[in-house]
Amino acid sequence: MVDIQQLFNGLSLGSLYALFAIGFALVFGILDRLNLAHPAVFAVAAYVGIDLVTSLSISVWLMLPVVFVVGALLGLVIERVAFRPLKNRPDAHFAGLISSIALAGVFIALLQGTYGPDTHRFPAEALPETTFTVAGAQISLVQVAILVISVLLVVALGFLVARTRLGRGMRAIAENPTAARVLGVNVDRVTATTFAISSALGAVAGALFALNVNTAQLGMGSAIELKGLAVIIVGGMSSLPGALVGGLLLGVAEVFTVQYIGSSWRDLVAFALLFLILVVRPQGLFGKRKVREV
Amino acid sequence: MRKTLTVATVAAMALTLAACDSESSGGGTDGELVGEGSGADCSIDAPVPVGAALSLTGGAGSYGESQRNGLELAVAHLNDADTGVSYELRVEDDQTDPRQGITVFEGFVDGGESVIIGPTLSNTAFQAQPIAQEGGVPVLAISNTADGITEQGDFIFRDSLTEGQVIPQTVAAATEKYGLENVVVMYSNDDAFTESGYQVFADSLEEEGVQVADTLTFSVDETDFRPLLTEAAGQDPDALVVSGLIEAAIPLVTQAREAGIDVPIIGGNGFNNPQLMADAGDAAEGVVVGAAWNSASDSPENTEFLAAFEDEYGHQPDQFAAQAYAAMTIIDTAVRHSCSGERTDVQDGLNNISEVPTVLGSVSINADRDVEHEAVVQIVEDGEFAVLD
Amino acid sequence: MLGDSTLVFIAIGAIFAFSFYAVLVAGQLSLGQAGFAAIAAFGSVTLGPSPDQVGDLPALGIAIVIGMLLGAAASVVLGLPTMRLRGVFLAIATLAFAEAVRILIVNSESLGGAGGLAVPKVVTPAIAWVALAVVAYWFWRQGPSRYGRALAAIREDELAARAMGIDVGRHRLQAFITSGAVAGLYGVLWAYFVRLIAPEDFDFAAAIDGLVTAVVGGSTLFIGPVLGSGFLTMVPEVQRAVGIEAGWLRPVLSGVLLLVVILFLPGGLASFIPRRLRMPASTESETHGTLTTRTHPRPGDQVVRLHGVTKEYAGVHALRGVDLEISGGEIIGLIGPNGAGKTTLVNLISGLVPSSSGEVEVLGTRPGRTPVHRVAAAGVSRTFQHSKLFGRLSALENVLVGAHLVSRPTFGRRLLWLPSARRDERQALAHAARCLQRVGLGEKARVPAAALSYGDQRRLEIARALAADPSLLILDEPAAGMNQPEADSLSDLIGSLADDGLTILLIEHNVGMVMRTCSRILVLDFGELIATGSPAEIVDNPAVIEAYLGSAPDEERSR
Repeated sequence: MVDIQQLFNGLSLGSLYALFAIGFALVFGILDRLNLAHPAVFAVAAYVGIDLVTSLSISVWLMLPVVFVVGALLGLVIERVAFRPLKNRPDAHFAGLISSIALAGVFIALLQGTYGPDTHRFPAEALPETTFTVAGAQISLVQVAILVISVLLVVALGFLVARTRLGRGMRAIAENPTAARVLGVNVDRVTATTFAISSALGAVAGALFALNVNTAQLGMGSAIELKGLAVIIVGGMSSLPGALVGGLLLGVAEVFTVQYIGSSWRDLVAFALLFLILVVRPQGLFGKRKVREV
Repeated sequence: MRKTLTVATVAAMALTLAACDSESSGGGTDGELVGEGSGADCSIDAPVPVGAALSLTGGAGSYGESQRNGLELAVAHLNDADTGVSYELRVEDDQTDPRQGITVFEGFVDGGESVIIGPTLSNTAFQAQPIAQEGGVPVLAISNTADGITEQGDFIFRDSLTEGQVIPQTVAAATEKYGLENVVVMYSNDDAFTESGYQVFADSLEEEGVQVADTLTFSVDETDFRPLLTEAAGQDPDALVVSGLIEAAIPLVTQAREAGIDVPIIGGNGFNNPQLMADAGDAAEGVVVGAAWNSASDSPENTEFLAAFEDEYGHQPDQFAAQAYAAMTIIDTAVRHSCSGERTDVQDGLNNISEVPTVLGSVSINADRDVEHEAVVQIVEDGEFAVLD
Repeated sequence: MLGDSTLVFIAIGAIFAFSFYAVLVAGQLSLGQAGFAAIAAFGSVTLGPSPDQVGDLPALGIAIVIGMLLGAAASVVLGLPTMRLRGVFLAIATLAFAEAVRILIVNSESLGGAGGLAVPKVVTPAIAWVALAVVAYWFWRQGPSRYGRALAAIREDELAARAMGIDVGRHRLQAFITSGAVAGLYGVLWAYFVRLIAPEDFDFAAAIDGLVTAVVGGSTLFIGPVLGSGFLTMVPEVQRAVGIEAGWLRPVLSGVLLLVVILFLPGGLASFIPRRLRMPASTESETHGTLTTRTHPRPGDQVVRLHGVTKEYAGVHALRGVDLEISGGEIIGLIGPNGAGKTTLVNLISGLVPSSSGEVEVLGTRPGRTPVHRVAAAGVSRTFQHSKLFGRLSALENVLVGAHLVSRPTFGRRLLWLPSARRDERQALAHAARCLQRVGLGEKARVPAAALSYGDQRRLEIARALAADPSLLILDEPAAGMNQPEADSLSDLIGSLADDGLTILLIEHNVGMVMRTCSRILVLDFGELIATGSPAEIVDNPAVIEAYLGSAPDEERSR
């Protein structure tokens, strides 16, 4: 009974890891860059979502699409300010890390300026406290919603990348940006859109996370950042299904570490897992080995 | 072009450095901080410079902010009362970074501050306070609860009760009230404050003969407690004993209630924050909090403080704000003791603090330079802290 | 405002940044340094003697030795399994290591857990700056040494570096160990200054701090970390001095400032400092001196032997049953339509890709099994079809890297300021300049490779390959982008190289040039060797005509 409860705890936590990590994976898959402002979007979205529900008293279900849009806008800002100016620099790899860290610092400081340093939370009555009992395990409505929304968003994203014109553009850029440009892909616009989608997903993840744990904190992004990195390595750096499976796997692994090994080692699991994967199968569970061209 | 730029940069740097040199403000060394009269009649012409090194940004930002509010309110009250001694408060941010903590302390020592308040975190205190000790500047710690803080030297004082002064009586009171036999202990093990709190909890529980069925740890920035709570619930405890900060308290308490854990939750100083009731709502009912400050006290000092704070900042103060506010009362008493804002005179004054009425209650400073006053065991009832009896 | 502690933090912050610099110069992004520093700090405090027993300085000295050894050892342990990872993968793997170290320390009661360990304060500004001076000196001497150039080459283009005979794995591991030792030094100095070390001092944020410092300062000049640390340490000081209210506004401003530096100063703060490029005093006066010279295979000696070589890429046969022998002094032309497998063949011979089956033997090595740099060491040097120059290095530096195999290591002797190092460097410079002049780039020695015209880049590729004094020189479409007079002079150059005893394998679309230059011609089509013979024989070979008429006529492609 405890196991089923823990399994579910792990899955709902893991689906948030996945939703968050997919933002990393999407940008990395296409640009080969890590966007370290992603965790800041996660935190900003949570605060904005709480503000929306508290001040404008709109419902949680309406809040999520608004937060999605806010996240997308932040994504555009991140792309424009921290990444596009570096496009042709030989050191873009390092510089992009630093510029996104700097921007993240600005975001968090502004967030503190706006909402103060204290923690915030969604009003307790924002969602009905419905719980379901499945095989003796208590599962709350939030947890179910998180799992469903996360999986839906990931599936929708998979469809977008695989089937639409935009998705073809993304894949073309991932393959070879110069060739994509020659083929008529508007590289700048597709790149910006990618950032927007990535941040929008990170934003939804942030709002759902705050809903799930009943708190939002300025540092919540940095707390999940390393987990997100672990997830994309485990899943395969640019693989979307990999990020989903990696997230769920990490969530479940953490929960069962608490159960069977000891809670002190919970955070070590993510790192042990990713280290193991990197050494044994560097392309990740779902990643493809890139063929190097001479 | 490049050469011009280089020249410009060098020039700019030189200017900055020059600006810095002329900036170091003196004060307090030429005797203008020595006043006339004594006690309530003391009058000092120059304002007494007080430095506060607080974590205003970074991980501990919310505590530092609370402390700043408490200090600024207290200084405003003292200065407005126009009783002959005024204070000039300089609040600096240590960014929750030891490097900044050390640098800020050094700045205060060199800058002529008569007394330094802070820092927010115990670990920073161990790193920064020796600088004040070496520089002969009295320090009043307002939130450090770790052992050994005041052992760093005869200039280091504190007005925050240690965990050892608060937790044993909390555990005793809760054990008696609820007949505890078997509990689960949870604490964040990567934070000095909560880890030292845990040690005292563990010792006190043993003292009281309460069985600890399981000890669960979490990271200081953890917010998802469901796996731990599921694990805890499996032990069927009489209570959860938690050494954690308010950031952990809110999600932990709410998630515990959601998971159907209805046993009492017992916390330490970190839980003594009105945000617990504001944010956790009904879930906070029945939470037992051992604390250094009785927010429900109806002493005149406390009533006035509560009203003024709420008036100024629009929300209720927490323990950090109360201890900060009390610090200024203590410093004012210490300054008036010799009617001087000179550093050694303030030190002398702090050594002579005895039964001073503050928002924390009647406060004395003992021979170990640690504060002594009554601690309180509170329970959340109807959305407010009430004394557990 | 420049208090003691500020001075110390600038110095030890710079030392920490140097531990990132150490690997950034080789193009590696590692975030494990916080872990190395943690191991060194906790290790040296636990294992070292207390200052009360042996005195302050001896205790610190012993702690530094212990800490640097521990840091270096930890970097070996982490480096061995992770050295094959690149870019972000390496960053995350090393970060995971550092976080794991931190969690282990948190969980370790003997190290004080979250409360940390008390450490006596020993470090003064003077000590910190002396330590910084030593570290900066190290990297100053490293930069223009043979070792330093090899690292820069790896950073710019790992594959080309390999082909120049640089043992990339060993160099990367060396850089990583240096980084570990320097991070260890930082950890010890930190511990003996701040009085209390706690695991949180070495968390992810600390690692990011170090990286930011190194990048802001500039990771191509040894003074960069010092500038970066000075800048970043002073930002809060200046904010305090200027009187910006403590609170959220300060991080906003620092963030914006950091963004501005990163976006508008591509080389970091160090780009304000003009780079001094060493030029050879004269190219004629000095002979080869200490440069290694190779004895080339004599005419008739076997240089390359391929037997039944097949290469498949995901089911596609790039090469099918190729048999081939090349002997000393030959100038072999390799022609064939696009996609015939020419580049694959060259990659096989130079060891960049292994064959699927068959035997490859080149100058006594087994390319595909022998590591690329050893194949290069045996005397194989090549140019690349798509220019793989070291873009940010000057033309001369590119050629100096090419001379890696024939020059002697100078870093150790440069550290000790031995005159012989200077002499060796001078000779390498002169040799490089001669190579540049030989291809007609003598005037452009200072120009960064990336800024050269396409034709000049092709020529620079040749000069770089030449600098290795190869026995077998492989030129992959060297005349692409050249006009006829240029191609003619290239042809003459190739002839003169052959006279020096080199064996040359020339891949070219300009069939006219191949005919003029080569003694023997091979024709590849669909992965099969369809003809081989003298130029005259090839022109008349019906299979060749068929292959070429079947695709595009060659005359169109020759410009």
